[in-house]
Amino acid sequence: MEPTEKDIAFKQLQKENRILKKKLERSEADRAKLEQTKNSKESLLKQVIVELQESQGILEQKSAALEQAIETLTLAQSKLVESEKMAALGTLVAGVAHEINTPVGTGVTLASTLADETEILVAEVARGGLTRAQFNDYLDTAQEVTALLLSNLNRASELVHSFKQVAVDQTHLEQRHFNLKNYCEEVLISLSPTLKRTSHTLTITGDADLYIESYPGAFAQVITNLVTNSLMHAYPLGKQAGHLTLDISQQRESVLLSFKDDGCGIPANNMEKIFEPFFTTARNRGGTGLGLQIVYNIVTQTLKGKVDVTSEVNQGTCFEISLPTNTGAIPKND
Amino acid sequence: MLKVAVGHSNDPDSAEAVDEVIAQCQAELAGVQPRAGMLFSAFDFDHALVLQHIYQVFPELELIGGTADGEISSVLGFQQDSLTLMLFSSDDIEIRAGVARQVSQDPVTIAQQAISEAQQQLTAAPKFCVAISESLTTNPASILHGLQSALGSVPVFGGATADQAKMEQNYQFYKAEVLNDSVPFLLFSGPICFSHGVASGWRPIGKRSQVTKVIDNTIYEIDHQPALDFYHYYLNEFATDVAYPLAVYPPGEETFFLRGASGYDAEVGSITVAGDVPEDAFVQITEASLDAVIDGTRSAFEHALDQYPGQKPEAAVVFSCSWRRYVLGTRTDDEYKAMAALSDIALPSCGFYTFGEMAPFKNSNRSFFHNTTFVTLLMGHQ
Ligand SMILES: Nc1ncnc2c1ncn2[C@@H]1O[C@H](COP(=O)(O)OP(=O)(O)O)[C@@H](O)[C@H]1O
Ligand SMILES: [Mg+2]
Repeated sequence: MEPTEKDIAFKQLQKENRILKKKLERSEADRAKLEQTKNSKESLLKQVIVELQESQGILEQKSAALEQAIETLTLAQSKLVESEKMAALGTLVAGVAHEINTPVGTGVTLASTLADETEILVAEVARGGLTRAQFNDYLDTAQEVTALLLSNLNRASELVHSFKQVAVDQTHLEQRHFNLKNYCEEVLISLSPTLKRTSHTLTITGDADLYIESYPGAFAQVITNLVTNSLMHAYPLGKQAGHLTLDISQQRESVLLSFKDDGCGIPANNMEKIFEPFFTTARNRGGTGLGLQIVYNIVTQTLKGKVDVTSEVNQGTCFEISLPTNTGAIPKND
Repeated sequence: MLKVAVGHSNDPDSAEAVDEVIAQCQAELAGVQPRAGMLFSAFDFDHALVLQHIYQVFPELELIGGTADGEISSVLGFQQDSLTLMLFSSDDIEIRAGVARQVSQDPVTIAQQAISEAQQQLTAAPKFCVAISESLTTNPASILHGLQSALGSVPVFGGATADQAKMEQNYQFYKAEVLNDSVPFLLFSGPICFSHGVASGWRPIGKRSQVTKVIDNTIYEIDHQPALDFYHYYLNEFATDVAYPLAVYPPGEETFFLRGASGYDAEVGSITVAGDVPEDAFVQITEASLDAVIDGTRSAFEHALDQYPGQKPEAAVVFSCSWRRYVLGTRTDDEYKAMAALSDIALPSCGFYTFGEMAPFKNSNRSFFHNTTFVTLLMGHQ
C-alpha cells in the first residue's frame, strides 16, 4: 500500500520533533560550556592587563635607570676630557721643570763659585796681605760670574714667564693679543724634553709677524695634542727619525696652521673615526681616544674654525686648522 | 573520472538517519557503485546498526570513519547529533582501507605495520592517506609518528575521533566494524591530485614561560612551578580549559604550534596536553576572538585552493578542532559558511569536529599533530 500524503506529513512531523528535542538537550550542555569559556576569557584578559601594567612599570623603571646611566656616562666623559686636558698640562709642566733646571743649576754653581772667591778675598783682607794682582783677579772672576749668572737667571725667568703664560692660558681660557709664531715656539719649548728623548725633529716655519686676538691656551692644547699623537702613533717602529713641521700662514680671510708628520699615516677606514671620543688604536699603551676629540672641540667651538686631516699610509699625516679672521682669531700685523 | 556523493541527516533516530543518508548518496551516484567512503557520526547513534544498513546497500565499500563532536557537509552545513557520509567512485583511482588495531599497546609499531599491509594491496604507490585516529587510549601524536614513518614523504590528513566533550569513550569505524583503540585509514593512489591548508586563529597573549619539566604530553612544571598554577593564574580556576591552548615555541624557534590542555591532575599539579611538547620549550597562553577563528578557517581553505594543482577540486574533506566549536558557540556554522563562500556551491564537502588534526604544516609533506586548527583537504581527478 502506498503511503498517503497524511502519512508522509506525519512522518515528517515526527522527525522534526525528534530533532528539536535533541537540539534542546544539546543546547543546554553547550550553553554551560560557553559560559565557562566566557568566564575564563574574562579572567584571562584581566590577568593580562595586570601583566601589561606590571611590565609598563618595569619599563618605566628601566628607562629611568637608563637615563641615570646616560647622565653618569656623560659626566664621566666630561671628567675624562678634563683629565686628558690636565695630562697635556702635565706634559708641559714636566717639560718646563726640566728646562728650568739647566739655567738654575748653572746659576747655583756660579753663585757658589763667587761666594768661594769672595770668602778667600775677605780672609786675605783681614790678614792684611791682599795684593793688587789678587784683587784684580777677583774682580775679573766676579765680573765674568755675575754676567753668566745674570744670563742664566734671565733664561730661567723667561722660561717661568712663558710657562706661566701657557699654564695660565690653559687653565683659564682668556682672550688676548699675541704673536702666534712666538707663542707656538714657547709651547714647543715645554715639549722639547719629550722630543729630545726621540730622534725626531720639529720645525716651526711661517709668518713671524702674525699677531692675533685669540685664546692662546687653546692653541697650546691643540699643538700639544697633535705633537704627542705624532710621537705616539706615527712612528711605531721607533727607529725612524721623523720630521714634524708646523707652518703658520695667513690666507686671505683666515689663519692657517698646518701640522705635518712623515710617519705611518692613518688607514682609510679609521679616518672618519679618529675625531670620535674614545676611538683609539693604542688602548693598551694608555691611549684614551680623547686627544683628537679635544682638538676638534677646541677648534670648532672655542676658535670657531675648521680642522681637516689628510693622510696617506706610509707617507704621513697632515692636520690643517683654519681659523676665520672675522671671529675668534683676529690677525693684526704690527 | 571521480564521482563524489555526500549524504547528511540530523534525524536522531539511527535507522531513519542512515536510510536518509544512503538515499541522498544513491540519488547522486545514479546507479554507479561507490568504491570507498568516510562516515562521521555523532556519539549517540547506534553505530553498529548504521554500518549494517550501509553494508546492506554497498557490500564492497572500503569505509572508514568515527565518532565526531559535530559534523559538517555541503548538504546540511554544520550539525550536531547528525550523520554524514561521503562516497567516492572511480574507474581508475584506487582507494584502499586499512586499520591499525589496539594501537595503545605500541602506537608507533602497530601503525607502521598496518600501513605496510595496506600498501601491499595497492597496485601503485599511494599519493596521500586519510586517517581517523583514536584520541583517548593513547597519544595520537605517536600514532601519527608511526603512520608517517611507514609512509615516508606521503602526507597524512585526518582527525582524532571525539565523544562530545565527555572524554570517556570514542569509536572508529572500519568497514562494518565498530572499534576503539584503532586507526582506520584510506590510501589514495592513481591519477588523483590534492592540496591542503591548515590554520588556527588563536594568538598568544600574556607572558612567555618555560616548560621546566615534561614527560611526553604531560607538563609537570612551568617556570619551576606546578603547571596547573599557570592555568590558575590566568583563568582563576584550578582546572585547565581547552578553549585556551598553549602556544608552544620549541627551544630557539619563533614559530609556535598549539597544544590544548585536555586534562590535569590536581594533586600533582600537572596538565596533560593533546600531543607532545619538547623539553625547555617556551609556552604562552593563547586566546581567540570569534572573528580570528573564522579568519583561520578562511585562510586554511584559501591556501588549499591556491595550492590545488589540478583544474578544479572535486571534493573537500575538512577536520576542525572541537575546541573551535566551543569558542564559536552559535557561530560554528560560520566555519562552513566561510569555506562555502570561497568554493563552488557544488563542491561536495564532508568533515567533522575532532579531538586533534593531522596535516603537514604549509609547504611541507611531513604531517604534524595539531590542536585547534582547521584542516582542509581538496582532491580531484588529475
Ligand atoms: N699622527 C698620527 N699618525 C697616525 N695615527 C694617528 C695620528 N694621530 C692620531 N692617530 C690615530 O688616531 C687615533 C685617535 O687619536 P686620539 O684621539 O688622540 O687618541 P689616542 O691618542 O688616545 O689614541 C689614535 O689612536 C691613532 O690611531
Ligand atoms: Mg692622543
